[in-house]
Amino acid sequence: MSSEHLGERLSALVDGELGPAEHESALIHLAKCEACRFEADMTRRLKRRLHGLGEPEPDLDFMGRLSSLDGGPGQDGPNPFDPPFGGGGGFGSSPPLGSSRPLGGFPGAPGGLGGEPLAASGPEADPTATPGARAPGTEATGERERADRGGSELLSQLLTPFAGGRYAVAGAAVVTALLGTAFVAGGEAEDAPVVEPRLADYAVEHAVTSRHIPVETSPEGYEPPPGSEVEQAGR
Amino acid sequence: MSTGDPSSGARRPVLAVLLVLIGLCALLLTSAVHPGAHEVPAAGDDDGMPVLRAAAEAEGETPYTAVRQVTGPDGQPYGLRVVNRPGEGVVLAPIGAEDEPFVVEASQALESLDDRLLEMLRDTYRVADAGRTELDGRPARLVEAERADGTVAGRFWVEADSGLLVARTVYDQAGDPALSSNLTELEIGEGEWPERAETGEPWGEALDAQAREDLRSEGWKVDEQLTWNLRLVDARATEHEGHKVVHAVYSDGLSQISLFVQRGKLGSSHASSPSGGYVGTEEGGTGISSGHDTIFGGDVGQYQSMWQADGFVFTVLADAPAGLAGAAVKALPAPEGSGFWARVERGLSRLGPL
Repeated sequence: MSSEHLGERLSALVDGELGPAEHESALIHLAKCEACRFEADMTRRLKRRLHGLGEPEPDLDFMGRLSSLDGGPGQDGPNPFDPPFGGGGGFGSSPPLGSSRPLGGFPGAPGGLGGEPLAASGPEADPTATPGARAPGTEATGERERADRGGSELLSQLLTPFAGGRYAVAGAAVVTALLGTAFVAGGEAEDAPVVEPRLADYAVEHAVTSRHIPVETSPEGYEPPPGSEVEQAGR
Repeated sequence: MSTGDPSSGARRPVLAVLLVLIGLCALLLTSAVHPGAHEVPAAGDDDGMPVLRAAAEAEGETPYTAVRQVTGPDGQPYGLRVVNRPGEGVVLAPIGAEDEPFVVEASQALESLDDRLLEMLRDTYRVADAGRTELDGRPARLVEAERADGTVAGRFWVEADSGLLVARTVYDQAGDPALSSNLTELEIGEGEWPERAETGEPWGEALDAQAREDLRSEGWKVDEQLTWNLRLVDARATEHEGHKVVHAVYSDGLSQISLFVQRGKLGSSHASSPSGGYVGTEEGGTGISSGHDTIFGGDVGQYQSMWQADGFVFTVLADAPAGLAGAAVKALPAPEGSGFWARVERGLSRLGPL
């Protein structure tokens, strides 16, 4: 055995899994074999390194943003390590499906959800509230977020004072649908045939019922009798 | 001693003034839409009706020849040679024109129409016997049709000797003559009947009340009354190239307006020129209504208009004062517009009350 290297028994030696006799034999071999002694030394170092690795630490910037969402410094906000759906209430304690902010906000609840714009107390309200300041590279994203929030704020401000905001939107939709339907219904009937009224026949029919025929005015050759104009215009 | 509020006495006059102002405003608004005083049937004794009925009977019994002199609003007369043969018909031949004579064949339908025209005259106006007068030196009886406001809408002269209606004049609302006809060179006896003539008789399919109701249920515009003074006196139908055409005659007893209705739409280049002797004022003329596509107003008191609306083509031929012809045209569906809102409005009317 002394002429053979330890091989797989080397890792068992480092892990302390060899029996007494094999352990003594392995040590004797290490005293003689420089290669195995070097390999055993490296294996032990690797093992220590692995044992030395602890649980990963959370990123400070991420922790700072997370804590700032729930209030400024000094507030008793939730522990960032708590479950995301709040209070450690566990599954089912979050708001039920469909209970999110309705269109137009919650009337009469200015401090609640929808009463004020979302994230109104976020980092923009107090940039120093978070230990991790906004990185310069995120300014563009921040501007876009602010623009989106501005649109939401404008819509909220327009609709919140008007309690029937949702009804106004619904009414506008109905009017639009009605106009569209009327526009479609008002199109020319495709099945209506193209006709060319027979004016000559109409004139004959009209002449028959009226006992009077249309003629050209003042045809040559007609001379009214003298004095006849007096009677036809009046007494 | 009054226990009331001292200020209440001052308020009462103000309140009264406000009420009076409101009342005046309401009166002005209602008077703006209220029909004029003349737009109602005239009341009174129709003592002229027997004279006109006797003249109608004489027309059906007395053969004669004459020259009918017709004068329109412009005052320029034209002449028609007339030959009347009871039981055969009436020949109408333009004087000085090369057109063939036109023969209106006698028929029971026309006699019934004459009776209804007299009824319309009686219902719309006060038909008064204005007494004896002279026409071309001949004794005659004058009958006047008066509106409710007392103005004269028409005059009839009935010759005393023959009992024939020898002249008539229709006046517009302003009192000006709109259409006049006068028989001159009257000779009693059978005149010469033309060997060649264009003949005409009313369309064969008479539409009774049930038939008209059926047409209306199918969307046809054949109203019993167009305006307060224009009521349906006759309705007939025929077919042109397999398509039904309805002829409705409206009258106030003095004038006749023919409405021809045909299902379909006009082609891109429909007839837009005067035809059949009608003299036009061209498109957009002022004779009837500038809102219609094709308008012809005649200086001889004859009008023609054609347009399409709601899937039908309407044609109006009128021997009437311009105001009456215009009222008839405006009482019918307006010409279709081409804009967005016109199409929406048309669609809403088709959808109805949903």
